[in-house]
Amino acid sequence: MSSTAAAQARRPRWATNPATDALQRARLFLVPRSRAKASKVPFIVLVSALLVGGVVGLLCFNTSMQQAAFSEAKLSQEATDLAAKQESLETQLQRLQNPQSIAARAQAHGMVIPPTPAVLHVPSGKVSGVATPATAVSTPRLWGTEYRHALMVIQR
Amino acid sequence: MSQQSRSGAGTARRGRSQIRLRWGFLVIAIVLSVFAARLVQLQAFDPGAYAAAAAASNIQNVTLPATRGTITDRNGKPLADSVDGLAITADPTLVTPDQAPALATFLANKLGVDYAATLAALRKPDSRFQYIAHQVPARKANAVLAEARSQGYNALYSQRDPIREYPAHDVAANLIGFMGTDGALGGIEHSFNDMLAGTDGKETYEVAANGTRLPLGSSSTVEPVDGADIKLTIDSDLQWYVQRVLRQADEAANAVNGMAVVIDTKTGQVLALADDPTFDADDPSASPAADLGARSLSQVYEPGSVEKTLTVSSLIDAGKITDTTREVVPGALYREDTVIHDAWSHGTLHWTLAGVIAQSSNIGTVLAADRFGDGQLHAYLEKFGLGQRTNIGIQGESPGILPTMKQWNHEIQDRIAFGQSVSVNALQMAAAVNTIANGGVRIDPEIVMGKATTDTGDVVGTDVATKRRVISKKAATEMMMMMERVTDPATGGGYEGLVPGYRTAGKTGTAQRVNEDCGCYDGSHTFSFAGFAPADKPRFTVYVAINVPPSTAGSGGGTAGPVFEKIMSYALHKYGVAPTGTKASQLPTTW
Repeated sequence: MSSTAAAQARRPRWATNPATDALQRARLFLVPRSRAKASKVPFIVLVSALLVGGVVGLLCFNTSMQQAAFSEAKLSQEATDLAAKQESLETQLQRLQNPQSIAARAQAHGMVIPPTPAVLHVPSGKVSGVATPATAVSTPRLWGTEYRHALMVIQR
Repeated sequence: MSQQSRSGAGTARRGRSQIRLRWGFLVIAIVLSVFAARLVQLQAFDPGAYAAAAAASNIQNVTLPATRGTITDRNGKPLADSVDGLAITADPTLVTPDQAPALATFLANKLGVDYAATLAALRKPDSRFQYIAHQVPARKANAVLAEARSQGYNALYSQRDPIREYPAHDVAANLIGFMGTDGALGGIEHSFNDMLAGTDGKETYEVAANGTRLPLGSSSTVEPVDGADIKLTIDSDLQWYVQRVLRQADEAANAVNGMAVVIDTKTGQVLALADDPTFDADDPSASPAADLGARSLSQVYEPGSVEKTLTVSSLIDAGKITDTTREVVPGALYREDTVIHDAWSHGTLHWTLAGVIAQSSNIGTVLAADRFGDGQLHAYLEKFGLGQRTNIGIQGESPGILPTMKQWNHEIQDRIAFGQSVSVNALQMAAAVNTIANGGVRIDPEIVMGKATTDTGDVVGTDVATKRRVISKKAATEMMMMMERVTDPATGGGYEGLVPGYRTAGKTGTAQRVNEDCGCYDGSHTFSFAGFAPADKPRFTVYVAINVPPSTAGSGGGTAGPVFEKIMSYALHKYGVAPTGTKASQLPTTW
């Protein structure tokens, strides 16, 4: 045992026995498996975050879309209401503009329709046509008489 | 040893997971099979029924009504207009049985709908959509819906349903017609219904279980195509004036009815076409059914002496006579089957043709018409447009009656020469007289500005109005000169009809009226007056006809003449037409 050690010690380093070296090299030994466990937490957190974020985002998006749709419906209702209001005002205007109501108002102001047209030529100061003063009878009656109304009722 | 036991455990675990896997596959296969079976069931067996069931449960189909086109006068003032209205609808499934009577009462009070019908609609089984009220003004409908909601009724909805408004009421109502509950009745509304109506659209959308529309649900919309607008040649101010003057004259004469026409001489555009009595288009049910149309187009009558202008101008055109041709007019004219008289008794008179026209002598006209060749008068009257519809685009127009060449004989010609045995409608007669005003060229009267297509496919309007020469310019001018003698108080009947300061051509007509029941003259009359001014440069042709019952005092000149004068004065005034300043015709009337 010691002689071998001595012989080995005596033997110069360069005078190695090739066979022993090969043996030495060939000897395998068990290396403890290094289990460098990667932490799962970040992955789970990431996936969860994506999932939750996605769901929440979708929910928010959907809610805001719904909200927009509701406010759109509300605004369009408002627009419809305003359009209806405008239209009813226009109708009122049209009714006021109808010849009968204009004539009735004009008559209430004492206005009459001229009986005969006459034209004043401004440069010469001459009047062509026969200028005739308007009178109360030059405007036709605006309303039918009671008699005619009664006749219509009988006919009906 | 420990290695062995480890590998043994691994095998066992692998075995278990394989079993789990197989079971898993089995479960998945079973589930997928169920899905597949359901798929086959849904898609292979009667897929339509399922689709329909799905649609019925939560898909709402709604018609989007097209807005009806507006009818305006020549200045764009609306005569018929559509405004936003709403139809109120209900979902009967949302109305509890004990709620229904209260809701029906509420609706009957607020909307004036029939209580029983509303209750029936609200109780309709297996229905999710019932109409409650049509054409409710939008503001009112929204107010009612809001109030209903505040009272806890959630079953009511609304949808578009335009309302037809006639802001001018009776002005041109005879031409416009009106909309009944089932559609257009009469006039422009009826004739051009397809054009005015447009095409309804359609909307389909998903609703939630409670009936509210899902904001993000699937929906499809086919937009409605609104109807086209129609612009008339009518001047609503003038039309109004004509209607009022006519009504006053009718009332004064105790007339059965009256008609008046104003035509723009050069263009043939009808500026006013009035009927009396007429109706309020906004409330047609208030008037008798007989008054809901345009008698000026549908009613035919014998025009009487106004027709003499056509006879005499044709004779001049044919080269048979001139305005100074001398006539010896006896007190009575014995013909084959009858004796022809004038409106008043006289001995033998020496009149020029101008005198015959100014005094409206039947005998003088018949004697002049004897110069016509066979059928010549018929051909002229046809060219003047008698016996044919004016086709202005209002249905129900009568073509009038012009005897055919087969029926034509000498006795008929005698009577037609002074306006009997021939029937016209008022517009037809006005267009014929306008031919003389327009220098002998007849232009189709038109009521539609531009052009429009009727439901029957006729294209009418000012764009397609045709012209044709009927008599020469010379004949028209000579006729005008003679017609001026009618309105001259010195030579005419002393009637009104002359617009002071303006050269006015006119012709009176006092025609016996045919009673349709007996087919005879019953003593009733048509008092008429046709004319144009300024005579030497005509701007308007006005025709007035007033039908009076038997034994009514009056005449064409005395009753219709003043109406003519007023209408003509108003038109000249409104359109700023100055007198021409030339001297009026002084044609001799006697010799």
